[in-house]
Amino acid sequence: MSQHQALNKLGRSGNPIIRSAAFQDKVSSSEEKMSLEGAVNKTSIMLFLTVITATISWNFQGPLMSIVSAIGALAGFVSGIMTFGFYFFFVGWIVKPRPHNAPRTAPIYAVGMGFIIGIISQQAESFYPGIVIQAVSLTFFVATSLLLAYKTGFIKPTQNFMLMIFAATMGIFLTYIVSLIFSLFTGNHFLIITGNGNMSILFSVVVVCIAALNLVLDFDIIEQSAEQGAPKYMEWFGAMALMATLIWLYIEILRLLMKLRSR
Amino acid sequence: MSYLTLSLGLLGIFSAFLFFYLLKFKASIKQTNRGNRIRWNSYIPYKEKKPNKGKNKEFKDTSFKDN
Repeated sequence: MSQHQALNKLGRSGNPIIRSAAFQDKVSSSEEKMSLEGAVNKTSIMLFLTVITATISWNFQGPLMSIVSAIGALAGFVSGIMTFGFYFFFVGWIVKPRPHNAPRTAPIYAVGMGFIIGIISQQAESFYPGIVIQAVSLTFFVATSLLLAYKTGFIKPTQNFMLMIFAATMGIFLTYIVSLIFSLFTGNHFLIITGNGNMSILFSVVVVCIAALNLVLDFDIIEQSAEQGAPKYMEWFGAMALMATLIWLYIEILRLLMKLRSR
Repeated sequence: MSYLTLSLGLLGIFSAFLFFYLLKFKASIKQTNRGNRIRWNSYIPYKEKKPNKGKNKEFKDTSFKDN
């Protein structure tokens, strides 16, 4: 009998109290762990909530819906910050990430973003019929392609990959913020963001690529957290991160298609 | 509805189902067994479980006084 086998057979306590306590502890700790299946279910719930609220805001346009959508967007934004934190260049974390808030904030985020997506999609559809179906389909096509590339190991997210994507994402958001401030003071927008020229389309393509590559990081968060037996709330956190990226990707694809069809 | 929209719609439905189906599977060993993976737990802090207050109270109540 090897030493390991001997420990297994003889080293365990025969005391029924100790044995039952150890067993209960093992069961309770396994119950609280995250699983891939759980993360998928939570993503489905969030997607369902987003689609429901997007349908409501699409069909019931008016001043009341505008107020509800504004409140929803604000609630979504606040719940996003409460979960993912808020980072700014040269300053660091202004609000630290709090993943344990995700079970409460994720449904609020999904509902809030649904209202905004509904309004944006309805506006886009009124100008260019059929554009929403095309954008939704392309979003899922891009997401599935990247998921396949990730699962098979074709794309391997490393520390450098993450830093590049993070820097590029922050750069894009900084450009959007500067553009927003510029438009508030001058009334004009950056043509590279709102125009339909070649440079503007190239910018949109780059933004779509960055948004799509952010999905790889989300897949890695979900995969690794499940592997390491992270707490159950990480299922909501992973689902929320995935949904946030999918929503961003959808809006950018919609914007790109609008630019292409307006030429 | 144009031919392009219809074909893209069908592609989207198929992609959405495939997306949720693939998401349930574990990634390949090629992806998971490598040394240069991102250590997400150093960026995303998991909240520590709080110690059971009821158990601690039991010990606190037990006091030994020297007379």
